[in-house]
Amino acid sequence: MIIPVRCFTCGKVIGDKWEEFAKRVKAGENSKKVLDDLGVTRYCCRRMLLSHVEIIDEIIKFYERPKINKEEEAT
Amino acid sequence: MDINILEKNEESIRLIVEGINTLMANTIRRLILTEVPVMALDDIVMIENSSVLHDEILALRLGLIPLKTDLDAYNLPEKCSCKSELGCHLCRTVLTLDVEANKPLTVYSGNLVSEDPHIVPVSEKIPLVKLAPGQKIRLEAYAKLGKGTVHAKWQPVSSCTYRYVPVVKIDKTKCNECKECIRICPKRVFEETKGKVRVANEIECILCGDCVEACNKNQSAIKLDKKQNSFIFYIESTGALPVERIFYESLKIYEEKILDFISQLEMAINVSEKTS
Ligand SMILES: [Zn+2]
Ligand SMILES: [Zn+2]
Repeated sequence: MIIPVRCFTCGKVIGDKWEEFAKRVKAGENSKKVLDDLGVTRYCCRRMLLSHVEIIDEIIKFYERPKINKEEEAT
Repeated sequence: MDINILEKNEESIRLIVEGINTLMANTIRRLILTEVPVMALDDIVMIENSSVLHDEILALRLGLIPLKTDLDAYNLPEKCSCKSELGCHLCRTVLTLDVEANKPLTVYSGNLVSEDPHIVPVSEKIPLVKLAPGQKIRLEAYAKLGKGTVHAKWQPVSSCTYRYVPVVKIDKTKCNECKECIRICPKRVFEETKGKVRVANEIECILCGDCVEACNKNQSAIKLDKKQNSFIFYIESTGALPVERIFYESLKIYEEKILDFISQLEMAINVSEKTS
């Protein structure tokens, strides 16, 4: 759903590294290099970022739509 | 005992401790994992939550945020004199979160407002939840000291390990300079200088033994050994406490436990002497 706060296995905080990771990988950077830059060394933590899909962005859309519809009705 | 710091930065430390045995090394490791207290959000009072994450999920995420801890200013709730469920100002502090979205919005750990300016999230950029326009979150979160035995959110470290100090030796009379060990070593312990194989990075060796096997089949030139009574400790803090403080606290707890054991033993001996 949303990036976990910590690594499931070791407990290192990885939540705060997600946005930079996602942005830089989307811009075409090599994910290995980004992970190394962020100081994520263990493979348990690396898979947290590598394998994550931020589904909450898709779900939020369902809650945005009714509001927009209501506004359109009003005008 | 001899302590040598190999490397140290804000959140982690690597050091060699000489002159202790496995028992003591493991005791220190376990004390750090389970007994050194840090602050974490524990009781959450949810006033309003219309986000897509359920109250429980949000509360769990809040709990996992490491908080900068002031160990000297707070008591463990079970040791505090107040004995109340929600605690007093000596055993808890309140953080509040109050956000409403007008446009799609990400709520971060930095949005938490703390009553005590010393107890704040280690990182301000941990996403807690995302809100759609019109969604709202209002909550009160109580931060308390706790121990890792109860919940992993109260562990001061994200990694705490020790391993043997490796000793790597090449017997030059048996070595045929095949360089196979350089190729196979995962930690790049060996190096080639002027055509000869040389041990360059002994401390990184993880004693996997691949080099011994890759060497001459019948009589390997490489010998791996571990140094007696020496350990390499690696401690990585979550940021809640400085690494030195974690080490120091664990030793303090160790001492308390030993002293408690001695006094209990003396009491037991006194009782048995009186009755006999
Ligand atoms: Zn990890
Ligand atoms: Zn109290």
